[in-house]
Amino acid sequence: MPEPTELDRTYDFILRAFVADGTAPHFTAIARHFGVSPDEGRRRLHALMEAGLPNWLFPSTDLIASFAPFNNLPTQYRISVDGQQRWFAQCGLESLAMTWMFPGKTVVVDAPCLDCGEPLRVAVRDGAIEGAEPRGIWFYVDVPFRAWRTDLPFS
Amino acid sequence: MNLFRSEEHARHWSGFRQEAAAGLLSLADAMAVMSTPRHRDRLSGRYVSSAPSSAPAFLERLKAISRNDPFWAPPG
Repeated sequence: MPEPTELDRTYDFILRAFVADGTAPHFTAIARHFGVSPDEGRRRLHALMEAGLPNWLFPSTDLIASFAPFNNLPTQYRISVDGQQRWFAQCGLESLAMTWMFPGKTVVVDAPCLDCGEPLRVAVRDGAIEGAEPRGIWFYVDVPFRAWRTDLPFS
Repeated sequence: MNLFRSEEHARHWSGFRQEAAAGLLSLADAMAVMSTPRHRDRLSGRYVSSAPSSAPAFLERLKAISRNDPFWAPPG
């Protein structure tokens, strides 16, 4: 198996920082982790964010705004693990993918329904839906899949 | 990309568009969409370099769940 690339390693560091802390690392933390200069940490961050994955920076900054499945800005998709609500999901679909970030644990998604404002809750463990309240929760996106990349934050 | 308490709530939402009704998925189908290696293997340590190879299974899953609806067709 080939060695992980620099992009692989930067991606993995950021994702694991989200898992551990619930927030995105700054590029200086990337630099410190890899033993490189802050400027090199910033370069690695930007290189990763230009790799075509569903991740983006806050406009005109070096700050991670969203890094699927996580969001660094609060969204209505609150994620709890082991009774701790420490994470936010990028969107309703990615809230379900949170299960792969916490193997062996039950991930609870709490959100309001955008139609009525009443709460909904989904519990997922290793990709299996353990519970949904109310039963019969549905997902909806009004942007065709082919157009998602033209405006990821909107999609 | 949002979750709703029911299909009826999604259809009643002010942002719902009938011409985009194919964007409705049951919770089980939405979970299945997010369960191919494209989303499952993000902690693999080689996610960026392996991303191109994970695309076909993801697109096949979308095609199967949507019954080949053009709403879920990939770009190009």
